[in-house]
Amino acid sequence: MRVCIMTGAGSGIGRAVAIQLAEQKLYDHIAILGRNLEALNEVCKKMQPMVQTSVWDIDLNSPQKIPQIVEQIHEKCGSIDCLLNIAGYTDPQPLLTTSLENMEMTYNVNVFAPFLLIRETVKYMKKTGGKILNVASTAGMTPRPGWLSYSSSKAAVISMSQTLTEELSEYGIKVYCVSPGRCATKLRQKLAPNEDPTTIMQPEEVAEVICNLISDRENCLDGQNIVIRKQIKPKG
Amino acid sequence: MITAVILSGGKGVRMKNVVPKQYLLLAGKPMIMHSIERIDSIPQINEIVIVCEKSFESSLELMMKQYNITTPIRFAPAGATRQESVFSGLQKVSNDLVLLHEAARPFVLKNDFLKLINEKEKNVTFGYEIPFTVVKGKEIILDTLSRDELKNIQLPQKFEVKTLLKAHEMAQKNNEKFTEDASMITTYKLADVKIINGNSYNIKITEPIDFLVGEIIYREIIRGRK
Repeated sequence: MRVCIMTGAGSGIGRAVAIQLAEQKLYDHIAILGRNLEALNEVCKKMQPMVQTSVWDIDLNSPQKIPQIVEQIHEKCGSIDCLLNIAGYTDPQPLLTTSLENMEMTYNVNVFAPFLLIRETVKYMKKTGGKILNVASTAGMTPRPGWLSYSSSKAAVISMSQTLTEELSEYGIKVYCVSPGRCATKLRQKLAPNEDPTTIMQPEEVAEVICNLISDRENCLDGQNIVIRKQIKPKG
Repeated sequence: MITAVILSGGKGVRMKNVVPKQYLLLAGKPMIMHSIERIDSIPQINEIVIVCEKSFESSLELMMKQYNITTPIRFAPAGATRQESVFSGLQKVSNDLVLLHEAARPFVLKNDFLKLINEKEKNVTFGYEIPFTVVKGKEIILDTLSRDELKNIQLPQKFEVKTLLKAHEMAQKNNEKFTEDASMITTYKLADVKIINGNSYNIKITEPIDFLVGEIIYREIIRGRK
């Protein structure tokens, strides 16, 4: 059985990826981690005719439970072949109003939870090879006043992905990093509340790129920070 | 099934470091883990015996947990000499065949281990051709040895446990010292030891410069291979 673990499936890019993963039957079982159980169960219903799913209740702001959950997934499914770190958090603030709690929560969800998921998953994946994909952001590459916690956390994701590409290639594990630009998600609404979401890239378009990367067809794009941007024509 | 015995009793004198070389980081992880991770992925090996100083056992146990090594591990105390260490390791072996390896040779591929295991002969060693001239003599040259007749012995090696134990017991009885085990078996004419072709990348990390060379071997040979 081919097994994929993912976060962020409740909405936005993660939800679109979960549905496309099921439609394309890239994996037999998708283990979904998150805290919004209502949203996760709803997405599972859409996936279940095509693949097996399981939902694992965890608040990624408290990632300490991750080792235990990954062990349980491995016990239940027998292997872990893919990990998708898609969940993201932001509370954009200028420096002088950025609290330590803001930084901690942003780093817990965007950096520490992915780090723990990768470490625990690799304990099993290193014997079989596999794929890991981290969703960063163009915000991690270009400075933007007021986005300190989010931008710096995404820069960490880009760097972590590049380091791990080198470190894990010995095991036949490919590490991908994608940095979507402006994409119509709830998180984007927090960063740019005045933007019309219909004028920018849609989650389904990012999901298509991600599903291509983690399919067996892709073999050459690991180790790069892959920017996903769509040229949008102005209205009118 | 087969037991892997890993010699890890070295004290790192030539590396001039308080931490023995086999625990220093090479390409980002402790040198000994390079071999142990690959051995752990081989189903025919169902037991690993690590011969080390007692004081390193707890750190090694932690490493085995961190790297999720699932093959059962046993420890054997290192002896005063390599020969004593091998003998000590053999006391903990529960299979009829042993794969003898040393932690200071981190670049043995899974396929290299499998080549030894799959050899139908019970006593087998890797041997690599000698690409330089070897002479006999210390102050003046007494003789030039013929390269065509020589091989550079490389670990890992596979042995029948009872044969190797007998060789060690004979060496102890005769108070003879050996720096390597295949030669011990052949000296006492206990069995033939087959030589299979070794590899240039299977270097032994001995001096500080070997770490630099080792990083290149890791990058060019090991990475990207399972």
